[in-house]
Amino acid sequence: MDRRLPRAKEITLTQKKIFILPSKISLGLMVIIFLLFLVGINFQNSLVYIVCFWLIALLVINIFYTYRNLAGLTIKAISAAPCFAGEKMVLELEVSRPVKLRKSAIYFGWKNEDLVELNLQEAQSTRIKLSHSSDKRGRFNPPRIDIFTRFPTGLNTAWSYATMDINGVVYPEPIEKKQGAEKQNSDEEANDGQEIAGGTSDFAGIREYQAGDSPKHIHWGQYAKTGELYTKSFVDYESHDVWLDWQSLNISGTESRLSHLCAMVLNFHESQRQYGLRIPGKEIQPNKGEAHKVRCLTALALYGLPQDEAA
Amino acid sequence: MLGKGYQLPQQVTYRGMIWLLAAQLVVMLPFAFYLPIWLIPVMLASAYWRIRVLKGHSAQPRLVLRLLVIALGISGVLISGMTLLSLDTMVSMLLLGFAFKSLEAITQRDALVVVFIGFFLVAISFLFSQSIPAGAYGVFSLIVLTGALIANQQSPAQQISLHATRSSLKMASVMLLQCVPLMVLVFIFMPRFSPLWSIPSFESHAKTGITDSMAPGDIANLSKSDELAFRASFDGRLPQANELYWRGLVLNNFDGKSWQQLPNKYDTDELKSQLQYNMAWSDANVSVQGEPFKYEVIYEKTGQPWMFTLTPTTRVDGQTVKYGDYRVMARSDIQSPLMVNAVSYPDSKRDLELSAQVRALALQLPATGDEKTRTFAKALRERSISDSDYIEKVLTRFTEKSYFYTLRPPLLGDEDTIDAFLFDSKKGFCSHYSGSFVFMMRAVGIPARIVVGYLGGEWNEGGDYLSVRQYDAHAWAEVWLKGEGWRRVDPTSRVAPSRVEGGLEAAVEYEGSFLEGNLFAARNFKWLDGIREKMDAMQYGWRRWVLGYDRESQTNLLKSILDRMSAVPLAALIGALFLGIFLLWFVMLGLFRRQTYEAYEHQLYRKFCKQLQKLGVLREPHQTPHEFALIASEQLPDKAAAIHAFTSLYQQLCYIPNGDFERDKPHQKMRKLLRELK
Repeated sequence: MDRRLPRAKEITLTQKKIFILPSKISLGLMVIIFLLFLVGINFQNSLVYIVCFWLIALLVINIFYTYRNLAGLTIKAISAAPCFAGEKMVLELEVSRPVKLRKSAIYFGWKNEDLVELNLQEAQSTRIKLSHSSDKRGRFNPPRIDIFTRFPTGLNTAWSYATMDINGVVYPEPIEKKQGAEKQNSDEEANDGQEIAGGTSDFAGIREYQAGDSPKHIHWGQYAKTGELYTKSFVDYESHDVWLDWQSLNISGTESRLSHLCAMVLNFHESQRQYGLRIPGKEIQPNKGEAHKVRCLTALALYGLPQDEAA
Repeated sequence: MLGKGYQLPQQVTYRGMIWLLAAQLVVMLPFAFYLPIWLIPVMLASAYWRIRVLKGHSAQPRLVLRLLVIALGISGVLISGMTLLSLDTMVSMLLLGFAFKSLEAITQRDALVVVFIGFFLVAISFLFSQSIPAGAYGVFSLIVLTGALIANQQSPAQQISLHATRSSLKMASVMLLQCVPLMVLVFIFMPRFSPLWSIPSFESHAKTGITDSMAPGDIANLSKSDELAFRASFDGRLPQANELYWRGLVLNNFDGKSWQQLPNKYDTDELKSQLQYNMAWSDANVSVQGEPFKYEVIYEKTGQPWMFTLTPTTRVDGQTVKYGDYRVMARSDIQSPLMVNAVSYPDSKRDLELSAQVRALALQLPATGDEKTRTFAKALRERSISDSDYIEKVLTRFTEKSYFYTLRPPLLGDEDTIDAFLFDSKKGFCSHYSGSFVFMMRAVGIPARIVVGYLGGEWNEGGDYLSVRQYDAHAWAEVWLKGEGWRRVDPTSRVAPSRVEGGLEAAVEYEGSFLEGNLFAARNFKWLDGIREKMDAMQYGWRRWVLGYDRESQTNLLKSILDRMSAVPLAALIGALFLGIFLLWFVMLGLFRRQTYEAYEHQLYRKFCKQLQKLGVLREPHQTPHEFALIASEQLPDKAAAIHAFTSLYQQLCYIPNGDFERDKPHQKMRKLLRELK
């Protein structure tokens, strides 16, 4: 099976990869066909025979039709969005069809996870998203995707599998440990940083309104109470190099540490502070921004796992 | 297997339900002709109810209510005057269940079951009618049912639109059309069996055609119908008009007013055993002489067991029985067109010796009545030198004493009908003439009996086959003479010779009573003759090749093929035919040409990407050809020129669709560049 269906970036469903079987309900039609054959015999009625044989032919040709509904379908892995452990990993696929073979009612899914219906009538290709729950951090290889269809009549089920050669990163689950440990150990105290007045990030207090203040920053609550306009003032921190350091954590257990660091990364990212990450075997210089966050989270996700250097 | 662990849509979609209801209506409609007509409004009402529920206007009917409706329906069927265990009742119940199915919410699985029952009912409708229009309607029903199957599999997102409906219908039609070769192949070669058990009969099947007794005037009624009785085609020599006496039944017993087959009235099964007992067929009674007629007859559905053949029939195949009075009967009532092959030797002598039972039957007369005729007959016999001479004298009397052949005979009263006809009215139809003739024979001790059947028929344009219609019904007589056996005598032919030569139409032309009261009979419109002829030929083909294809035809076909080839090549041929059909499907469904419909430049570009992949540069899905070319040429500097040239050609072809490239032969250049990349 795995030799027939190797893991690949792009998979085209060819004859070797498509399986087909009558669905359970088609037994009902077979019973009807058998009854009609008996009626045909007993009444010696040619037209009853014709209906009977026509239904047999329908059963047979339907195999071809159901097969055709999958045949030539090309599935390309586009992306696997990173997620945190315990969340759903979303895999994006591009599905395209041969020019002449329209597709209807094809289901893509993972058992007990997700099911997506696909139709390619006018369009040649489309993108679908499938989600799968992730339970632990690291590289997530999406399992085999079931692809099946009963179109056009429901009498047969054609199915195939696609194992996409793509992986997504599952970050550790962000869990902040409130053990008081952090205060003592990390040199991350935010207020140590020098405040930059007139910033936009952190709320610093309120002052009287001055012409030219942004209306966004007017403290409406205060206005309602006092009838005077006040402006909320914000500060930005020009942080010192804040280090999230593995070594200085007073938490036991690798995963707990990773989870905590993950939560911290998110916190700092949210408050737009500059931070660096130091974990055994890896050091990421302080920086800020989306790409930096991803780098840090990825480093946490892949910590201690084989091959993570290569990735 | 698959399916478990998935939340597949369970309920039938609105669109699917509408399709199901439409299919139900289409399937049930033809039954209105044969079964209680109230089944249709019941079906419509439950469909309407369902649609209201689907639209949210009504609540789902409750179980009690549903049971009540079902009980009402069943009692309705029983009240409609049907017996409990007849086929009509069973079909009605099936229809009722089919209609009520739409009262409950149904799953996709149920939808399939409804369609399957629909398929079954389409076939069952052919037990009621097998005409060409019924067949065509059946095909239409199959298409709608298949369309309903398809519509129920389509995505719930599909809306009800003319376009979607048309596409489902089209797909269903194409599928069924593609099924035809396989269906035909199976139809021809699937072994046929004889009936496995005796089947209940239909009450609603009216009995048509000739009945088993004859009072004066009976046959005149039949003459008002131009319905087809049977068709015959001959192999070898063709009979003359005066040889086309199609024997159906023999009437022996006269009760003073009407004739019937035997002294008592029997149902079909009793009749058969009586016939078997009194006059079983024996080859020894026939001394075969002369040239045979070999022919094939296709009988229309009559609901009766009578078959009509030329006398005497020495060989007949199929589910038939021959009896000693030279009739042939079907083993069971003819409920669907029946085809048989028969051989008759018209010049043979029959019953040179007469058995005591047959003689007694052929001399029976009521004890009293018609005294005038009896006296007259005896006197006439005194004056004749022989039985033959007497017969001739009786027949001559019909010509000389101004008797008339008419379809409008006067009423003859209840007693002494023979006297009244022979001496007073002198106007009659074949039943009057044959009846009085047989009476006069029996009155002087000559064994005689009436034969009822058809006389003549109409050849089609090409003379391939003969159509015999109800108005060709006829009654004639047989007398038994020592040394000669049974001799056919047709007194009507003396009165109206044109009845034999030109058929009924010619015989009653003078009084214009042909198909009287049957205003719409196509026969009455001469200008329709051409069309009628074509329709008739089509009907014949339908009967002959479709309805008449049974076990015998199959055996004959296989025999004629096996004459030309042996069994092994035949089996191989059949196998090859099946394989051929599968291949044909593959081609028709477009499964062979996987990528060939992709524009050539796209095919070349895919090869280009593959080639570069081999060289170590993979094109990511998001990269445009231009971006990819930049990356690739960076990594493969020595091939950069070719890569850029190829990409620019490809882009030209893609994005300048109407450009005039023919001179430049871009595809050829692309192929060349592709070779350079290797």
